[in-house]
Amino acid sequence: MIAAIVDGGALLQVVWVSLACGLGVTAAYAIAIVGGSRAVELRREGHGVEATIFAIVGLVALGAVLAAIVAGIVALSDK
Amino acid sequence: MEGDLLTVAIVVGVALIFDFTNGFHDTANVVATSVSTRAMAPGLAVGYAAILNFIGAFISLQVAATVAEDVVDPGSIGLLAVFGGLVAAIAWNLITWYFGLPSSSSHALIGGIVGAVFVADGADAIFFKEGVLGEVMIPALVAPTLAFVVGGLSILVIYRIVGRLRPGSVTAGFRAGQVISGGLLALAHGTNDAQKTMGVIALALVAHGSLPASDPTPPTWVVVSAATAIALGTYAGGWRIIKTMGSRIHKMDSAQGFAAQGAGAAVILVSSHEGFPLSTTHTISGAVIGSGAAKRLSAVRWGVAGNIVAAWVLTLPAAAAMGALTYGVTRIFGTGAAGPVIVSVLILAGGALLFARRAQQARTTATTAVEA
Repeated sequence: MIAAIVDGGALLQVVWVSLACGLGVTAAYAIAIVGGSRAVELRREGHGVEATIFAIVGLVALGAVLAAIVAGIVALSDK
Repeated sequence: MEGDLLTVAIVVGVALIFDFTNGFHDTANVVATSVSTRAMAPGLAVGYAAILNFIGAFISLQVAATVAEDVVDPGSIGLLAVFGGLVAAIAWNLITWYFGLPSSSSHALIGGIVGAVFVADGADAIFFKEGVLGEVMIPALVAPTLAFVVGGLSILVIYRIVGRLRPGSVTAGFRAGQVISGGLLALAHGTNDAQKTMGVIALALVAHGSLPASDPTPPTWVVVSAATAIALGTYAGGWRIIKTMGSRIHKMDSAQGFAAQGAGAAVILVSSHEGFPLSTTHTISGAVIGSGAAKRLSAVRWGVAGNIVAAWVLTLPAAAAMGALTYGVTRIFGTGAAGPVIVSVLILAGGALLFARRAQQARTTATTAVEA
């Protein structure tokens, strides 16, 4: 009955894409914060190499967040 | 034809006023989390949301197509039915604004149109199953639930990842992040909500004969005017609702604000892509409550959350009844422009009265506070 009324495919897509994007972007941004914070702390303590690694991880995570947002908006405006 | 032209001009004007009240009423919800966590100053947050609302309105036309084609039959409805639905939605927005209830402008609009069309053209002109139920009501239930789940899981993921960091750097990091997540939510709101007005104006243009019923795509001037109206409404604010959404549901930290905004934006944007006319109020409410409940159930003020749920349940039937009533009152004055003119004057007077009473209450509260 309900399956005949609702576009199940579209609704399912809303569910899984929202979950994937919401959780993915949140996790990536949290990793960016960890990377940035740890890089600052380690540099202050004189651990230059570890600080650089954390900074790179943070930047990559931040880049992933921004890329996901841009890709999402482009996908939205394409349809 | 001149009478028709005046009527369609009034309907378009009322639609844009609805769009303005939609921004005024709804978008405060979008910025509430940023204001509540002090990620942004209120004035800045509202201005920022207004700009992104405007931009968001240009991203997609899927929701406009749903409203114009799938809820009611565009080939059989008349201008007065569209007018009745719009006035009902505005009246419902004003009433819920007056009482500080964050109800859904979108459901008020759909409910108002359905109620007016039901009385004007009968049940056959309404696509109850695939349209109202399949594209509005079921997604309306799924979206806040989904936002609740995504918001809740997001905050758990965040706490797991940043758990060992100093609170200061986490707060600062997520406050900065809220500039992005809050902006996305405003963009999502502009995308979904401005399109509903575009869809309704398209319906009016079809009823007038300016657009074909087979392809009621809104023309560019409709997109630009709907984007402008919602952005201006957003800028005008809605501080009472900000207070309800931002702090009365639960006190949130910046990570929760980020999680709630991110979850709300993700659900609204993806739903807009599929053409579902959602309520941003419901969706962000679900995300805010989810991010609070995942941290601590007792942190959520369930009484306030219950009031919001009650407003959700009431909106569609109440707006439908008001739409039917408005159509009936308008029809008393015939099928020309007289009815819309008289009812527009009445709704403007009612709105002015509510604004005056609200201003008087604010002055009384301020005087009492000074005396105390």
